[in-house]
Amino acid sequence: MIQIKNVSKWYGDFQVLRDVNEEVKQGQTVVVCGPSGSGKSTLLRCINGLEPFQHGEIIVDGVSVSDPATNLYRLRTEIGMVFQRFELYPHMTALQNITLAPMKVRKKSRREAADHAMKLLERVGIPEKAHEHPANLSGGQQQRVAIARSLAMEPKIMMFDEPTSALDPEMIKEVLDVMVDLSTGGMTMIVVTHEMGFAREVAEEIIFMDEGSIIERGTDISFFQNPKSPRTKDFLDKILM
Amino acid sequence: MLSYDFDWSVLWKHPYGRWMLEGIWTTITLSSLAFLIAVTLGLMVGVFRVLPNRITRLIGGSYVELIRNTPYLVQLFFWYFGLPSLLPQASEKWIYDHVPSLPYWTGVVCLGVYTASRVGEQIRAGMISIPTDQYQAAFSTGLTTYQTYRYVIIPYAIRIIIPPFTTEFLTCFKNSALTMTIGVLETTGASYLIDSYTWHGLETTTAASVVYIVITLCVVLLMAWVERRIHIPGMIARGR
Amino acid sequence: MDLAVIPRNLHFLLGGLVLTLELAAISLLGGFLLGILMGLGRLSSRKWIYYPATLYINFFRSLPLILVIFWFYFMVPFIIGRPLGDFLSAIIAFIAFEAAYFAEIVRAGIQSIPQGQVMAGYSTGLGYYETMRNIVLPQALKNMVPPIVTQCVIIFQDTSLAYVIGLKEFLRRIYLVDSRELRSVELYLFAGFVYLVFCSIGTITSRRLEKRQIGR
Repeated sequence: MIQIKNVSKWYGDFQVLRDVNEEVKQGQTVVVCGPSGSGKSTLLRCINGLEPFQHGEIIVDGVSVSDPATNLYRLRTEIGMVFQRFELYPHMTALQNITLAPMKVRKKSRREAADHAMKLLERVGIPEKAHEHPANLSGGQQQRVAIARSLAMEPKIMMFDEPTSALDPEMIKEVLDVMVDLSTGGMTMIVVTHEMGFAREVAEEIIFMDEGSIIERGTDISFFQNPKSPRTKDFLDKILM
Repeated sequence: MLSYDFDWSVLWKHPYGRWMLEGIWTTITLSSLAFLIAVTLGLMVGVFRVLPNRITRLIGGSYVELIRNTPYLVQLFFWYFGLPSLLPQASEKWIYDHVPSLPYWTGVVCLGVYTASRVGEQIRAGMISIPTDQYQAAFSTGLTTYQTYRYVIIPYAIRIIIPPFTTEFLTCFKNSALTMTIGVLETTGASYLIDSYTWHGLETTTAASVVYIVITLCVVLLMAWVERRIHIPGMIARGR
Repeated sequence: MDLAVIPRNLHFLLGGLVLTLELAAISLLGGFLLGILMGLGRLSSRKWIYYPATLYINFFRSLPLILVIFWFYFMVPFIIGRPLGDFLSAIIAFIAFEAAYFAEIVRAGIQSIPQGQVMAGYSTGLGYYETMRNIVLPQALKNMVPPIVTQCVIIFQDTSLAYVIGLKEFLRRIYLVDSRELRSVELYLFAGFVYLVFCSIGTITSRRLEKRQIGR
């Protein structure tokens, strides 16, 4: 589904990604972890073309992201993205947030888009909040609306950029539950998170990034029990405490 | 297209070249002196507006509102034509005839008074942008009000205030052109005067524009350098 | 003091005030529209849009308005081959000049919207135009309202500069009445008062709007 081959990226002289290679198969959930500044978020943004990269290749569903001929707008409709700070549009209600792209991009009727949006709000458990503005929702509710907004485009892939790290502890679970549900339902997912409980439960693969490179990868349990590099061990000790 | 013979030599031919140079010098001194007045007066106005005293706040507030809500040109005419007319006719005539460079000094004072209202607002904004915790922290270590301002608040505020001050100086510098309406031969006035002798307004106006652009550029670069020199890590200047 | 000079010439002076308001309204509208284009241009990633827009904005922002008025007074006749008339050349000068200031307001308004909002728009497949139109501009416009109102006050005051090319707006007429009646103090106080009333309405509105936004 996604092939990342030898990708490197620089901001000026500063190298944020160093020769990253990774493959995500259909239906898989891959968890990316690592200290802040290690390039995790940048990698996500490169996958859906929100940021350019200078070297290497990323192929999503058979299409090269960096090929100038690729229609990035079309590609992005295939990839949902959920942000750390939700990024709901503050001047629109939850429902309007969800229906905007289906109406403008897929040219759905308002009625059709709203019906679908309500189904998604039920799926994330907050149909009663459809007509609230983001400011009146808790962080957990906002993040669930944001997930529904991404799902509204019926993407083949979902990416999550630290979806729970701006949330109060009591709200983390409600968001993770929605994500577990998605993962077990067969969605292809890339999740940047430090929620290792979530990783244990659903991840087919866990990768650890540091200073722009993937320095460790493993399938579930082995990753936690015997990390190969001291950096990984150090990091895991800190976040698992 | 009109047929128009460019003659750039009007810019340096005698006596026009001299007029132009004197005009540039007048622009620089007039706006610098005015800005000096503006900062002094503006500091007072700004402090008046944040003091916990209703009367000073009222005075400061009225000053800013009055000056900001009337055009500079009206104020200039009021000072230059209005005030002397209140005097008996003989002394009015004497003033216009005998006070040396009356338009120049009227321009300086009036521009200073006008710019002070804007500078005062910037100073006030700078002061209230300082977190109240800073005051409390300073007081809690036993500093007096004066010391708190002198050692804690003002050094911090200066850094916040430099970018808007640069803008205000440049506004003052550009506003100085308006003094030509009362007969000050600053850059714009000089270019206008040369035009009325030579009918080469296009050349003189171009020259005047280049002067303003070059001086603006110099000030901007200088202030950017100053800002870098006194930069405190982690503090983001306002207006960026 | 002889305040009778004002009622005696009121009709003539009010005519000037109407012209002043016309000048201000047209300059405001034209300046704002051109300002939006320039402001967007200043944020463009395409160099051939970014550089001309930036040059335009910085050029006009470093010149005194009075000089810009002279520019159009001298230059436009030169280019089109015939004089434009006081009113038209003043209007063009004001629009060109104020657009540079509006552009900076527009730019600041757009930049006040977090980058994440743009990314969120793009990530759901919206294009540049859709993202600007539905997500960024509605939020940015709300932030821009107070500075725009302040700019209206400034434009209203700026129109008095049309005085220098002899356009008979409010201040010019005050000056004309003064040279006939020699009542400077009364006339300029009256002029100041009229400007004060109009501008205060704008200033107070702007402050109210700003407070309401912070309160939200």
